[in-house]
Amino acid sequence: MSILTYILGWPLLAAVALVFVPRNYRVIIRAVAVLATFISMLLAVKMFCQFVTGHAGYQFEQQIPWVESLGISYHVGVDGLNVGLILMGAIVAFAAACCSFEIQSREKEFYILLLVMTGGILGAFASLDLFFFYFLHELALVPTFIMIGVWGRGERKNYATFQITLYLSIGALIALIGLIALYLQVPADLRTAGKIGFDIPKLTEFFRNNPMAGGAQNFIFPLLLLGFGILVSLWPFHTWAPLGYGSAPSPTAMLHAGVLKKFGLYGLIRIALPLMPQAAQHWMQILAWLCLGNILYVGWVAMRQRNLNLLIGNSSVAHMGFIFLGIASLNLIGVTGAVIIMIAHGFLAALSFGLSGYIYQQTGTLEMGELGGLARKLPFVGPALLMAALAGCGLPGFANFVGEVTVFFGAWKVFPVVTGLALWGALMISALYMLRAMRNVLHGPLPEKWSGIPDASNVWRKLPYALLLASLLVFGCFPRLLTEKITPDAEKIVKMVTENVGGLVAGDASSRGRESAPSKQSDSQRRLTSAATEPK
Amino acid sequence: MNLEALPWLILFLPLLAATVIPLFTLRCRTTSALLSIGAIVTGFVLTVVFIANNGWTPTPSELTTNWLSIGNLNIDFGLKLDALSLMMMLIVTGVGGAIHIYSFGYMREDRGFSRFFACLSLFTFSMLGIVLANNFIQLFIFWELVGVSSYLLIGFWFEKPSAADAAKKAFFTNRLGDFGFLLGILVVWTALGSLNFSTLQQTLIANPAALGTIASIAGLLIFCGAMGKSAQFPLHVWLPDAMEGPTPVSALIHAATMVAAGVYMLCRIIFLLDPTALHVIAWIGGFTALLSALIAIQQNDIKRILAYSTLSQLGYMVMAVGLSGPTPAMFHLTTHAFFKALLFLGAGSVIIALHHEQDIWKMGGLRKKMPVTFWTFLIGALALCGVPPFSGFYSKDAILAQAWHTHNYPLFAVAAFVAVLTTFYMFRLFFVAFVGEPKTKEASHAHESPGVMIWPLRLLAVFALVGGFIGISNIILKHYFDSGLIKFTPLSYRTWETYVSDDPSSPYWLNYFNGLLDSGLRFLFKIPMMHKILEPFLDSPAASFIGLGAVAIGFILARSLYRNAASDPLPAKLGGFATAMKNRFYFDEIYEATFIRAHDFIATVMDWIDRWLVDWGGIGLVRGGTDFSGRALRLMQTGNLQTYAFLFALGVAVVLWFVLGK
Repeated sequence: MSILTYILGWPLLAAVALVFVPRNYRVIIRAVAVLATFISMLLAVKMFCQFVTGHAGYQFEQQIPWVESLGISYHVGVDGLNVGLILMGAIVAFAAACCSFEIQSREKEFYILLLVMTGGILGAFASLDLFFFYFLHELALVPTFIMIGVWGRGERKNYATFQITLYLSIGALIALIGLIALYLQVPADLRTAGKIGFDIPKLTEFFRNNPMAGGAQNFIFPLLLLGFGILVSLWPFHTWAPLGYGSAPSPTAMLHAGVLKKFGLYGLIRIALPLMPQAAQHWMQILAWLCLGNILYVGWVAMRQRNLNLLIGNSSVAHMGFIFLGIASLNLIGVTGAVIIMIAHGFLAALSFGLSGYIYQQTGTLEMGELGGLARKLPFVGPALLMAALAGCGLPGFANFVGEVTVFFGAWKVFPVVTGLALWGALMISALYMLRAMRNVLHGPLPEKWSGIPDASNVWRKLPYALLLASLLVFGCFPRLLTEKITPDAEKIVKMVTENVGGLVAGDASSRGRESAPSKQSDSQRRLTSAATEPK
Repeated sequence: MNLEALPWLILFLPLLAATVIPLFTLRCRTTSALLSIGAIVTGFVLTVVFIANNGWTPTPSELTTNWLSIGNLNIDFGLKLDALSLMMMLIVTGVGGAIHIYSFGYMREDRGFSRFFACLSLFTFSMLGIVLANNFIQLFIFWELVGVSSYLLIGFWFEKPSAADAAKKAFFTNRLGDFGFLLGILVVWTALGSLNFSTLQQTLIANPAALGTIASIAGLLIFCGAMGKSAQFPLHVWLPDAMEGPTPVSALIHAATMVAAGVYMLCRIIFLLDPTALHVIAWIGGFTALLSALIAIQQNDIKRILAYSTLSQLGYMVMAVGLSGPTPAMFHLTTHAFFKALLFLGAGSVIIALHHEQDIWKMGGLRKKMPVTFWTFLIGALALCGVPPFSGFYSKDAILAQAWHTHNYPLFAVAAFVAVLTTFYMFRLFFVAFVGEPKTKEASHAHESPGVMIWPLRLLAVFALVGGFIGISNIILKHYFDSGLIKFTPLSYRTWETYVSDDPSSPYWLNYFNGLLDSGLRFLFKIPMMHKILEPFLDSPAASFIGLGAVAIGFILARSLYRNAASDPLPAKLGGFATAMKNRFYFDEIYEATFIRAHDFIATVMDWIDRWLVDWGGIGLVRGGTDFSGRALRLMQTGNLQTYAFLFALGVAVVLWFVLGK
């Protein structure tokens, strides 16, 4: 059994186990959830450390055939693109479970949903099978809606639930249409088990050698871009996000904004770019300008927010713009930068929502006009929130800076104007709204009514925040931990996008591919034959 | 001995202090302070040891590890060790150490004592990082970290709204400069393919046209960074507000070190700047010097006067860089660090003695009450004004001489006029705050500060006195001469040669002073150091004598107006102009009305669009449309059999009409 199966299996198993625990055993319910995510996190750290850099192909692979006639199998494995994401997801999941103190009603159901969400999203990132890739994401997505609807807060809770449900369901549906259309591009006789089926590595291999027809690319790529884009709150399909996160209980917001949202981006990089290079080249020009909608427009919207959670939500949408810009640059530096921000933003979003959740729990409001001067009363949460805000405006030392600056280096040659404007968003607009928020929440005189507000005093309260902060700092100070793993696989993706564009004649391209990359070819051959056995 | 580990140790000791204090010793005040002071003082000692062992040009001159490497983007984390960086390390750890010790006394009653020292150590680490950086990204990283430690320290008393706002403003303004800076880095990297200073320098020396047509733009974009950090016009507005921070912070960050980072950076990358860029830089520096000296004349807050004076002196330094004179710029940076830190600490001593009173018109008569503060402050003021043999005279003279030798007479005139203004506002401050009768009860009950605050004053006063003629400028000059960067004007080059070889019989100055001064000078030069003390008069007599004249005019004006004055006589004489000066020429108001308002306006529009067009219009219409069609379709499902029968018949009729009718 691959370590990946354990990483995603523990939370799901714990979710099933919790079904049989009586609902008034609150401590046990909580302990099971925290323990399961903790084990999952430890295993993810172990996997991250054991990951061999520069190893061609996937590691920790495992494949179990399921529906043979359709070619669906349970197939997990990691390469440089998702190894960091799984680590990030597991750490955020543990932090979210720790932060679930604030849930005071129907704990049992909440923890079950949280665990399902965790297992689902970790599975989606680990999955190398298109069917499970999508299915596990849906498994994680649906609990979000229920959690916001039942445990959400604020007056606009119901509206937010409707909006996020409709938006994300439609986004997922559009992506599904794209994925099915993609599957149908494989010749019918190869769609069974052992051949290509839903297997992502084999699909990639197949379309590398037999590039998809231009018409099909131009039909499928926009569907994936739109579908995944909606899931990632690409401008102008972003309005669900701030409101949804503002109304969600903080563990849900942490997991969704931090981890689940990265699914669409991961899908774009893993599937859409390498399989449809020609369409990608075309659409990236448009995506580059759309990402300014995220960075500038949503940044400005964030400036107007008076509620801390809506502000963090909007800033989280704005950060997605940098990732889109990195992807749109379609070169090694840009794509690597995009993956770094995906990981960094996961930690950051979780940290910000976790801290704002703490403040909400203590004060019952996140209206910035009512808060103020909290730094004096919160010697731990205050500085942590300040650090999160500074990380959010791209301060060096935090992982976000590494990602953003890398994206700028990558995108500068391709889109100088867009990069210049994005730089304005990164350095000026984010600083404007983040520091204003800190000025209103932490600084200034302390209103009388908050003079009794307690700080996070016990270890369990501090642990999730400390863990997330430490992760941001470690990857911010030692970015090679990530880049050495990401770069080789990002290079493969970029090569496929840039090299296969010209060769639309299938035979021509495939022969060229064989000549230019003999090692890759043999490597993938090996992978095809040994797909069912797990490398140890 | 090579001692390669020392620079790393010097850099990371303050970081260690900055992490240990908030994590473990927040409650033990003295331990925290000792950790922080220990880190910086050890740093100073180790720097001295390193220089004593390796000299000013150590080999290897760079220690490097790879920090990030993606494709052709290679970012190192390295230390550049040369005369420039070693000199700055001495300033940062030396002056910084004195200020750390002073803070132990100044902040002792504050409840954020430990937090203060943690922030100070974070700042020291970041500043040393800037000094030692060997590539642009590393420089930028520490550049931002310095910005954030400044943010934390300005906003140290964050409960005071003015302090919190000032911190925010400083960060924004710096970020505005950093925007240009990063853009400039991107341009340089794209054109030259490297970020390392040595590699860039070699590329540009081998092929001066490597940057092509964008040379000026690249240089000016990078200058934007310096404009933010060194508070040059038009980004100068944050520095006076930064005085909301505790006074040691003003001394360390906003006078001696951080604001000098911009000048240091320009001196470091001077090979990137082409003549057009240099010309713009020189004029921006000159204009800043003039503008802020004018504003300083009508300020009443002791720290704000010093802040505007800092701006004005930074303008001098930037102007010197623009006149392709990195040596005078670095020289003035060094002496300025001594005497401005001294002035701020002296001001802090006064402020504490008067229970946080900062208005100079509520002081007066401090000479007897606080003798050490009085005399050290006077030394600082004389150094700032440029009275020989105080250090400021030599460095300011070097800048004036640079303008004179490069034949930039308009800027020379500006610089000389600023020298008049400098003496005027400093002696206005001095006469009002220190001389005459006490103007308030607090002033008459003032008493001298404790030893932990006094000793740093004495120490800095010594350096403010002798800093000009102990050979600092020669070390820097030699650095630029060795690296082949600066084509000296023959005059100053020969002067340097002359005095380094220490040969008073060299032909140059004998010819210059053709015999008249000969015998007198020969006698004078028998006294040790005398040739160093008199060097400016020999090097560029015009600049020196005009500079001295400017000081004299400024002093006479200040003395006639402010000696024994109870209130400021200047507004009556100057009218509206004085009001404009007092209100800082309304720059803050202008920025508030343009930059911030523009962003707020756009934000409002975008928010409106988001709320009403995208959210309400877009989504609302989709939802409303769905809702409407649902309602419309509901009308068909009434459950009424007759309706169904009618619709069925209608449908049949329509189908029949389609099939048969056509």
